[in-house]
Amino acid sequence: MKKLVNSREFVLFLILVLVSVAISIKSPSFFSASTLFDIIRSSLVYCIMAFGVLMVLISGNVDISFVAIAAMTSYSTHMLLLKLAYTGGITLYFVIAISMGLLAGLLMGFIVIQFNLPIFYVSIGYWTLVYGFNLFFIGATMNFDLPEGMVGYYARFLVKVRNPVVGETGLHISVIYLVVIAVFIWWLLKYTIFGRGLYAIGGNREVAIRTGYNVKGITYTMLALVGILAAIAGVIQSGYSRFFNPVLFMGKELDVIAAVVIGGASITGGRGTVLGSVLGVMLIEVLNRGLIFAGIPAEWQKLVVGLVLIIFISIPAIAEQRAKRSRYVVVPKEDKEE
Amino acid sequence: MILKDRTVEELLSVKNVSKHFAGVIALDDVSFTINRGEIRCIVGENGSGKSTMIKIIAGIYPPDEGDIYINGHYYKRLTPIASIHEGIQVIYQDFSLFPNLTVAENIGINQLISSGKKIINWKEIYKTAKEGLSKVNADIPLDATMEKLSTADRQIIAIAKVLLEDVKLIIMDEPTTALTQREIQYLFKTIKDLKEQGISILFVSHKLNEVKEISDRTLIFRNGKKVLDRETKSLDIKTMEYYMTGREIDTSLIAYSKVEKGPPLLKVENLTLSHGFSDVSFELRPKEVLGITGLLGSGRTELAFSLFGEMPADSGKIYIEGKEVFIIRIQDAIRHGIGYVPEDRIGEGLFLEQPIADNIVVRLIDRLASKIGLVKDRAKQEVVEEWIKKLDIKTPSSENPAGSLSGGNQQRLVLSKWLASNLKILILNGPTVGVDVGSKVAIHSLIRDLAKQGMGIILISDDIPELMWTCNRILLMRKGRIVEEFQREQTNKEELYEHLVANNKHSSTINRVKINSKCKDSRRMR
Amino acid sequence: MSKQSTFTKNKRSHKFLSRFHIESRILLLLGAFVFIAAFFSIIEKHFLTPRSISSMAFQCPEIGLMALGMAITIIIGGINLSVNDTANLSALMAGLFLVKLVPFTADYMSPFIIIGIAILIALVTGLLCGVLNGVLVVYIGVPPILATLATLTLYRGISVVVTGGKTLTGFPEQLSAIGHQTAVGIPISFIILVAMGVLMYMIFKHTTFGFKARMLGTNPTAAKFSGINTKSITMKIYILSSILCAIAGIIVMSRNNSVAYEYGTQTYILLTLLISVLGGISPGFGNLIGVLFATFIMQVLSTGFHMLLLGVRGSSFFKDFSWGVLLIVFLIIDYFMQHKKRTV
Repeated sequence: MKKLVNSREFVLFLILVLVSVAISIKSPSFFSASTLFDIIRSSLVYCIMAFGVLMVLISGNVDISFVAIAAMTSYSTHMLLLKLAYTGGITLYFVIAISMGLLAGLLMGFIVIQFNLPIFYVSIGYWTLVYGFNLFFIGATMNFDLPEGMVGYYARFLVKVRNPVVGETGLHISVIYLVVIAVFIWWLLKYTIFGRGLYAIGGNREVAIRTGYNVKGITYTMLALVGILAAIAGVIQSGYSRFFNPVLFMGKELDVIAAVVIGGASITGGRGTVLGSVLGVMLIEVLNRGLIFAGIPAEWQKLVVGLVLIIFISIPAIAEQRAKRSRYVVVPKEDKEE
Repeated sequence: MILKDRTVEELLSVKNVSKHFAGVIALDDVSFTINRGEIRCIVGENGSGKSTMIKIIAGIYPPDEGDIYINGHYYKRLTPIASIHEGIQVIYQDFSLFPNLTVAENIGINQLISSGKKIINWKEIYKTAKEGLSKVNADIPLDATMEKLSTADRQIIAIAKVLLEDVKLIIMDEPTTALTQREIQYLFKTIKDLKEQGISILFVSHKLNEVKEISDRTLIFRNGKKVLDRETKSLDIKTMEYYMTGREIDTSLIAYSKVEKGPPLLKVENLTLSHGFSDVSFELRPKEVLGITGLLGSGRTELAFSLFGEMPADSGKIYIEGKEVFIIRIQDAIRHGIGYVPEDRIGEGLFLEQPIADNIVVRLIDRLASKIGLVKDRAKQEVVEEWIKKLDIKTPSSENPAGSLSGGNQQRLVLSKWLASNLKILILNGPTVGVDVGSKVAIHSLIRDLAKQGMGIILISDDIPELMWTCNRILLMRKGRIVEEFQREQTNKEELYEHLVANNKHSSTINRVKINSKCKDSRRMR
Repeated sequence: MSKQSTFTKNKRSHKFLSRFHIESRILLLLGAFVFIAAFFSIIEKHFLTPRSISSMAFQCPEIGLMALGMAITIIIGGINLSVNDTANLSALMAGLFLVKLVPFTADYMSPFIIIGIAILIALVTGLLCGVLNGVLVVYIGVPPILATLATLTLYRGISVVVTGGKTLTGFPEQLSAIGHQTAVGIPISFIILVAMGVLMYMIFKHTTFGFKARMLGTNPTAAKFSGINTKSITMKIYILSSILCAIAGIIVMSRNNSVAYEYGTQTYILLTLLISVLGGISPGFGNLIGVLFATFIMQVLSTGFHMLLLGVRGSSFFKDFSWGVLLIVFLIIDYFMQHKKRTV
């Protein structure tokens, strides 16, 4: 029980609750099912991408190209299907986009492994490359021509709610995807050699190699998953917004990374959980939304998030410094007793 | 499979093995055997070939010539996997453990990977881990994260990990480096228990007193050759030293520095640092080489850090040339003419990727520049050349990275950095750890010369011969206090050893049961 | 010692080039620049016209200065992701001053003084941004990538609040001199870029400060034990980095006669990283002239592709694509050129 209370996730959850309560006091309409559903919906795609970021951070790396992959896969799939005069639903979008995402991830894996390059720098190049590819070769304009089967997607709700202010809204069915994916990733991290391998590589890469982990294979799988998750997020987001954007999520990569770090993943690797990432994303979303409800103008959002971030990264850093100072002196326990 | 004509006792046999790297001979026609249930030690300076021999046995390098027989199987080209299959396991210095993972996962993961399964069954991992811990009779919580544990605990876990494999030979590389005396005794007890189970241990060390205490047979390597292979009980430390270094150092031939009478260069009064040392007082005179020794945990390194400003003392006074000074940061210490050469010269002393020239002048750079901070290249070059010559650093160009130098040259490079600045007091922490014999002698000579030029030198070391070859006076620290003082002329190596390791013969309060894989109840380790 | 053999291989080329005091990276960049410029000038006849060259020279200083700001933090082993938002914020502060206060004082002070004050405000803002970055990294101990990620969000947030999300315009025309005027035919902003580049180069190569900074980037622990005041140097570098960004912001403001919080945000950070990597910057090492050349290469590619693909839909995005390819190609070239990894 003590472990649960002390865990990062619990603290985050507490903060989330406190912030929500504070906002609700200021503006009671915040505390409603429709708000909750809205927040879930806007967090959803970021959560999905966050899982990819989480895996990369656990392994001790940083990747920013996932946003570009999300944009490229969703947009390219759309343009392709448009050309083929597709009229069906969203499922085919997922299939094609995911395949593209998988390939994009594997290609990046190849570059990283073959030439032993740092993932961070390669992802910078990849980010520019993939967005550029998307814009130049596929198309540079937003596209609103949705196939028939997809038109109603944004309103496919599991649970409907009628809200006097916003009208009809609800819990979107894509939340099922989120839950399934979240459970899958959680399972991967905890119960497979791949997942444990990520933690091992993040803990000490050399020892991981020595122990016999297939570091190359794990890296390929990790990047492939990043691509797949990005593709899924891209399609869902396009479904929500009812248009396809070649520069989807551009600029948001750092926000997702920030959320995952707030959620407990360490930038140096070896740590992080699915739950923590979800809570981190939701906290930022709640802040973004809630501030409006609390009467703080939209312009202040970024500022507040920035301050929150600074506080969140400072606390563990200061704690680490204090710990380091007392850990410095090697004092053998028994000898002191004598 | 060629069955050699041998007794059933023999586990490993190395015959006429030679190995060279880029023209440098690492091993020259080495042959020896290891029997079952035997504790073997390989002793030698760095560069003696002992590390290479270990790596060959582990299958990491193939020998250029020679044969290896393990369990009667003949190997011309041994691979790591084959070595592991024969039951040979190496415990590296980092113990091959993951700091961010739990004890259970660290112990159990090997089995999982070798089984090739993709899905983790945590119950099995916990079971395996429990089994492993019981084999070493340690009671460490399975859920504890590795990084929170002490070095000794981690070492035991590393051994537990190894015992889970069908191990016949455990190779340990300098296992006592980071252990306290009590922990070393516990390790030795563990090793003896393993021996009784028929497991052989190959123990690499340069600490002769430990070798004498634990091993059955000792191998001494020097310059790639095996120079001694005898039962340990027939050896004494003096003989081992002689074979290790190839010479008898006649201390009467060494020209020690003569301490100058007069006011002390450095005076320390009641210096105290919580969790480090307490009530330390001593004096250092010009031209004196003062040795400070003690086991791990004695506070000797903390004392050095305090004097250097890295860990400023909580209370007490420091006087330099009669004036009281306050050393709160490293810059203060340097300003007062104190220098420090760290034990980990690569990690803490050198900029390996940077040119040798830059490494030499790094302390001096302010002095080699004009008022606005522009570096005077010619002045810099002069200083660089001067010191390369003075310290006999062998390199084709001073612009080459420091990493291109050999170990001994690197150590001299670290020294040059300090010598090139005007120091009054130089603190050296383990200056010849990992240095080959030839360079060691040169460095000792250099230390004595420096003292003769007027410097005061504090030499921190647990290498007793080294202390005897360089110091005028030796202070012994134990548990944070200075407990004894020796004048070099009035003592000898044996007496120093005795006093250094005194107190370890008190049997630990731990009442331990023989290691037994079937043992169900685990006792507390502490 | 197998290390010996690796070094004998590089020794000969090392010695040859060092005799000319030119590092191989600079040669490579120069070669790439000449090649690319020649390529475009052959294919596109308008490429090498005075007008086009002038246009390129006017465009590159802002990104070049930010890249310098990024590069110097990489050399000490850190990173500064807040480069663009620092530039914008600094420009915004100056812009606010100009827009809000100037109408009241226009009659009393000469426009040059007013602009001078505005520039000062921008620089001070840059300095403060650098201070915050430095405090987080040095005194609180946050990893630089995280610290500057947080501060960039904060600076952007402040920018949004301060402008209400709107773009600022309407600055005195004398301001645009910086961005538009030339001296001896060379744009003033370009001169500033080159001057800063050369200044940074001199600092890192020839001063004690730069020497210590390089050592710090190579091995922080050894630097500390050698008596280098690592805290002070790190702080100064982050401040210097942000000031360079402030200068970039001033140039942007001057050139466009407007400032917006979203200017360049998405791509600029990555471009500066790209230029730094291209320029051969890594912890402890890096010739800052290389950053200048890398900037020129980026500019030439951008303009070249723009001209080449004029009329082709989305042509301006081809350069994005090419930048990405270029970075990866250079990373691969690095891999082949160096047997030792930069980061241990």
